[in-house]
Amino acid sequence: MSHVNATTFTIVVVLFLIVTGAGFAAARWRRPTTMMHLDEWGLAGRGFGLFITWFLLGGDLYTAYTFIAVPALVFGSGSIGFYAVAYTIMVFPIVFIFLPRLWSVSRVHGYVTPADFIRGRYGSRGLALASAFTGILALMPYIALQLVGIQAVLTVMGVGTSSANTFVKDLPLFIAFLVLAIFTYVSGLRAPALIAFIKDTLIYLFVIVAVFYIPTRLGGWSHIFGVAQAHFASISPATKKPIGTFIPPSKSVGSTQFDFASLALGSAVALFLYPHAITGTLAARRRSTVTRNMIYLPLYSVLLALIALFGYMAVADPVTTANVKKSGNPQLAVPYLFQHMFPSWFTGIAFAGIIIGALVPAAIMSIAAANLFTRNVFTEFFKPDASPELQTRLSQWASLVVKLGALLFAVELPHTFSINLQLLGGIWILQLAPMLIGGLFTRWFHRWALLAGWLAGMVFGTLAAYNVSNATASHWAASSDIEFGHSVYIGLSAVVLNLVIAVVVTVALRAARVPEGADETQPGQYTADPDEAPAPTPAGVGAAP
Amino acid sequence: MTQQATNGRRPSAVAAHPLISAGIAILIAADIFFALYTPIYARLTPKLGDFPFFYWYLLIFMPVTSAALWLATLLQKRLGDTRGTQ
Repeated sequence: MSHVNATTFTIVVVLFLIVTGAGFAAARWRRPTTMMHLDEWGLAGRGFGLFITWFLLGGDLYTAYTFIAVPALVFGSGSIGFYAVAYTIMVFPIVFIFLPRLWSVSRVHGYVTPADFIRGRYGSRGLALASAFTGILALMPYIALQLVGIQAVLTVMGVGTSSANTFVKDLPLFIAFLVLAIFTYVSGLRAPALIAFIKDTLIYLFVIVAVFYIPTRLGGWSHIFGVAQAHFASISPATKKPIGTFIPPSKSVGSTQFDFASLALGSAVALFLYPHAITGTLAARRRSTVTRNMIYLPLYSVLLALIALFGYMAVADPVTTANVKKSGNPQLAVPYLFQHMFPSWFTGIAFAGIIIGALVPAAIMSIAAANLFTRNVFTEFFKPDASPELQTRLSQWASLVVKLGALLFAVELPHTFSINLQLLGGIWILQLAPMLIGGLFTRWFHRWALLAGWLAGMVFGTLAAYNVSNATASHWAASSDIEFGHSVYIGLSAVVLNLVIAVVVTVALRAARVPEGADETQPGQYTADPDEAPAPTPAGVGAAP
Repeated sequence: MTQQATNGRRPSAVAAHPLISAGIAILIAADIFFALYTPIYARLTPKLGDFPFFYWYLLIFMPVTSAALWLATLLQKRLGDTRGTQ
C-alpha cells in the first residue's frame, strides 16, 4: 500500500462506515411486527411508495459494473457501447407493457419470486424450477461482477495490490463483502433500499460534476469527440481493421447497426426478467407506484448516457490512456480518468460512489437468488409445510451462501471468466421471456412446450456464445454472432428459436390433448390494485386470494 | 397492448374507447421504434453544439420517453375512470 492517496482513502473509508451504519439501522426503518417473514425480509413489507421505489430500482438496475463496463466498452470499441443507452431508453416502454400486470397478480397471490408466478400460472413445478434455476444461474456471475467493479476501484486506489497472497491482496474486498453479507442478513431488502439513497446521491453528484468539469480540462467536447473519432477510425495492427466505430456503420466494419439494435432490444427485454429487478418491483406499495416509476426512471438513463461518454473522455486524455495501456485492463479506464482529473478528495467521493454502487445491487441480487432457492427449490420440493419463519431463516442463510459463491468467483477465477458468464447470464435470462412475459398475457402456451423452448434457447445460446471467436480470443469473444448474414445479439436469436419451438410444440400438444395444468390466476387479477398486502400464507405458493 | 386493452374479462374498455387505446399503443410503440431503428440516428450531422447527431439524439430521447410514458399513464387513467375502476 505504498502509493495510496491518504485523502482519497480516508473519504472512501468514512463513506463506507456511514453506509455500514445505515445498513444495520435499516432493520429499524419502517419497522415490521416481525422480520421473520419473506414479505418483510425479502420485500420490505411490500410497502414502498413512489419515491423510495425510484431510488431502490435505480440503485438496483444501474450497477457498479455498469459504471465500469459500459465506459470500458466505449473506451475500447466506441459507439457500440452506446447500445446500453438505447437499451435504457427502450426498457421503460417495454416494461410498461408487462410489469404492472406482474405486480398485480403477484400482489393478489402473494408471489415473492417470478418462479412463484410461473408455478401458479401453469400449475407446473418443473417449469417453475427451470425458471428459478435460470434466475440463480444468471445472478451468481452478476454478483461476482459487482466485486470486479469494486476491485477495479481498489486497484486504481493502490489498495492491496502489493502482496502476492490472494487473501492479503483482496483483504479490503473481503471486508467490504463481509459487511455487506451481515447487514443483508439482518435487515433484508430494507438495507439496500436505505443505502440506495446514499448511493444515488453520490453518483449523481460525481457524474454531473465530471460531465461539466472534465471537458474543460480536455479542451472541450469538440476536442473529445474529435480525438475519439480519429482514434476509432485508425487501423489496429492486430486485426488490420479499424479499432472501433464512432457511429454504428450500416456495413460490417466492426459492429453494425443491426448488432447495435439487437443488443439494445435483447438487453431491454431481459432487464426485468432478472429476479433482482422483480424483487425491487414487488416491494412497491401500489400498482401506480410501478407505472409512475417508468416515467421517472429514465432520469437514470440520462446518467448512464453521460457515464458512457466518460469512455470518450478517457480516450481523449493521454495520461489515462497510458495508464490503462500499462495495466492492460480497459475496465480501469474510468477510475484512472477520475484519479487523474479530480482533486484527491473528490476522487474519494467518486470511488466511494462506485463501491457503494456495487453493494446495493449485490445485496438485492443475493436476496432475490436466496428467495428463489427457498421458495421454488427447498419449500417446493423438500418441505412444502415450511413456516414463514423457516423460509425466512433459510433465505437469510442462502443469501450468505450466494454471496460467498460470488466472492470465490471474483477472487479465484480470471475476470474474463466472470464477464463471459455475465454475458451468458443475459442470454439465459432472456429465455424466460416466453413463459414469463407470455404468461402475463395469455395461457395459450402449453407448459411443456415452454419447457422445450426454454431448453432449446439455453442450449443454443450457450453453444453459440462459446463458438464466437475473433483475432484475440478463440471462444466467448463477443455476445453477437452472424445469423442470416447479419450480426445479431445471441440472446435475441436464442429467444426467437425458443418462441418458435414453444409455438410449434404447443400446437402439437394441444392437438394431442396433453393436460395443461391448473391455472390459479384469473384475468381480473392482472389489473387488480389491492390496497392491502396479501395475508401471509403459511406454505409458499399457491394460496387462493 | 396496454393493461386494459388485454384484459380479457373486460374487452369493453378497448371497444368503448378505441381512440384512447390506440393512442396508448402508438405512444409505446413509437417510443420503442425510434430507439430501435438505428438507421434514423446513426449519423454525424446535424450537430447540436459539439455533439454529433447520434449522441445528442440518444440524450434527448430520455426526457421524450418520460413524456410519452407520462401521457400514456394519463390516457390509461381516463380509460380506467370510465370503467369505474382504478
